[in-house]
Amino acid sequence: MERRDSERREVPLTAVRDGETGTVSSIKTGHGKGWGRGWGFEKRLMDMGLTPGTRVTVVKSAPFHGPLEILVRGSRLALGRGMAERIFVEIEKE
Amino acid sequence: MNKKKLLIALAGNANVGKSVIFNYLTGLHQHIGNWPGKTVERAEGTLHFKGYTIDIVDLPGIYSLSTYSLEELVSRKYIAVERPDLVINVADASVLERNLFFTLQLIELETPMIMALNQMDMAKNKGIEIDVRKLEELLGIPVVPTVATKGVGISQLLEKAIEAIEKGQTTRRKIRYGEEIEERITKVAEMIERIQFWYPPRYVAIKLLEGDEEITREISRIDPQIAFAAEKLANEIENLHGHSCSTVITSERYEVAGCVARQAQKIVTPTKPPLAERLHTMTTNKIAGYPIMASVLLLMFYSVFTFGNHASEFINNFLYGWKPFFANIFGEGIVGKLVWGGVIEGLIASVTIALPYIVPFYVILYLLEDSGYLSRIAFLMDNAMHKIGLHGKAFIPMMLGYGCNVPACLGCRIMETKRERVLAAFVTTLVPCAARTVIILGLVGQFLGVQWALMLYVVDLLVIFALGRLAFKTLPGEPTALIMEMHDYRMPHLKTVLKQTWFRLAEFIKIAFPLIIVGSLAIKLAEVLGLLEPIATVLSPVTVMWLGLPAITGITLIFGVLRKELTLIMLATLLGTTNFAQVLTPVQMIVFTLVAMFYIPCIATISALVKELGWKKALFITVFEIFFALTIGGIASRLLVLV
Repeated sequence: MERRDSERREVPLTAVRDGETGTVSSIKTGHGKGWGRGWGFEKRLMDMGLTPGTRVTVVKSAPFHGPLEILVRGSRLALGRGMAERIFVEIEKE
Repeated sequence: MNKKKLLIALAGNANVGKSVIFNYLTGLHQHIGNWPGKTVERAEGTLHFKGYTIDIVDLPGIYSLSTYSLEELVSRKYIAVERPDLVINVADASVLERNLFFTLQLIELETPMIMALNQMDMAKNKGIEIDVRKLEELLGIPVVPTVATKGVGISQLLEKAIEAIEKGQTTRRKIRYGEEIEERITKVAEMIERIQFWYPPRYVAIKLLEGDEEITREISRIDPQIAFAAEKLANEIENLHGHSCSTVITSERYEVAGCVARQAQKIVTPTKPPLAERLHTMTTNKIAGYPIMASVLLLMFYSVFTFGNHASEFINNFLYGWKPFFANIFGEGIVGKLVWGGVIEGLIASVTIALPYIVPFYVILYLLEDSGYLSRIAFLMDNAMHKIGLHGKAFIPMMLGYGCNVPACLGCRIMETKRERVLAAFVTTLVPCAARTVIILGLVGQFLGVQWALMLYVVDLLVIFALGRLAFKTLPGEPTALIMEMHDYRMPHLKTVLKQTWFRLAEFIKIAFPLIIVGSLAIKLAEVLGLLEPIATVLSPVTVMWLGLPAITGITLIFGVLRKELTLIMLATLLGTTNFAQVLTPVQMIVFTLVAMFYIPCIATISALVKELGWKKALFITVFEIFFALTIGGIASRLLVLV
């Protein structure tokens, strides 16, 4: 376990490179200003299948800091950058 | 109980072919309305089968039964309160796991149900093979494989539905959550059993633990103790898992969905990516995506306007051909003037906008939507729309607005929250519709040159941006980000597209026609009674002194409320010439066009706003735009003189 811990890298989904896959570790709902927060925001992500432990592949992102295209649970989602910034994943090391 | 009447609801994710199945089942016996008091669409139809009269309700396409959106709330309440005899869960075989997540929630609602496993052909193309018998066994409900676009499996689906209703259902899978959760669900469910509530106790218990807003509120009203106890139990789960209880429960539900999917399907990845996949890559490409989008949109506008212009002219000529006929019946007196100039011309006005522009617009738009391209446009435009506090999906009603603001305002329903609907509808009314394009091109474009007309379009975009941003900053509430499934490209189903177009058209006729006719009658009455001149005089401080326009424009601007291009047509009539260069200075032309573009949503748009947002907001938007247009017009008239 400890060895895995030292290898693991937790980054927001927006920092994942195109084509890379990660596992959702946590979602920061946070408070104060920002895109969506609280129950509705988190629940929505969960409902779309982005639950902790889920594997997510970032296919690409739209230009000019646009949304991300991700593959999750066999389906393709467009995810706004504001949302993606709050999803933290562990990158799988090959 | 009358055994001969049945109620069946269709439920499922968006874009799984639900409406295609609905169309197959109900044929022409259907109508679309709204859920009472909600701006959520409700499609209903009737069907006769084996001596039964079956009412079919097509619930909105949703991913979950939480209370994130109005659609989800409406669907959940409908199933729990109206208690249909059967729910047909339409699922997309090519994205099984996600669809099963919804199926499991329906099962938790303890409604009698069967599944239509649709788009089996698309699944096959993606290399997914599904063992239907295995799936039935795992879920404990009957599953019928279908390819709705080709009509495959529809009659079997109906047979199975009747069979399930007649037999009554017994076996079904229950999701078993982890022990620590089950224990607490049982505790809460026991408390619920003691009170009267319309959802099943176990379901309420799960939802309370998940912190569902609607159910927590309702239960607190009946017995705050239960809600309090549930919250405490939920906190215990949170402490055990390190994630919120809602997250834990949703995760486990998805776990079950994934497990069922893995057991029932076999995936063989095709060696060559299918055409749909290659199209997707191309149309969402960082560089190529935008020119492709621009070409598609330009082609769309070009064909709509070309078709619209010809058809509009044709219909206009045809209908005006009836003028002598009416003159014969009603004479040339006041009655005759009111009948022709008020009622019939109002009707002509409505028909010549509605049919030629709106119909092709809708057909193309629905073709694009059904094929999946609209979601790609939303993906590409998301960032731009964020600047005015909206996300990518709002680009769709805005595009519609270039055709006609009325369907565009109605189209703002695709936004998830009320706040975004208001924002999107407001921005949409600023988009120059076909009628405003007539003014811009017919006055400024023709007499001052295309570059000035283009400049006005740019000004319009700037105004949309500035006002959109202002509204976004002032409207209370939080913006939501884009989260949208991009389903695989597919051939659109023409029949469904045409039917949707027809329903939109019917809706437009119902909203806009009466108002346009009444408005047109009122203005004609004012004209006949000789009130127009006094009105023009009353308005002259604004029109003449502030805007620097001829007093007569006051009258034309009143007519423009009915239909924007009337401002130009009336101007020609009242000035007695179509060579506007003789009567208006270039500055006056630009000021007049600017005011006409923004000064008020036309009467049909106002009624659409009332329908979607309510009286107060519609009135506010209308009054705001009047003041805004006058301000911008006045400033322009002073600045442009200097140029």
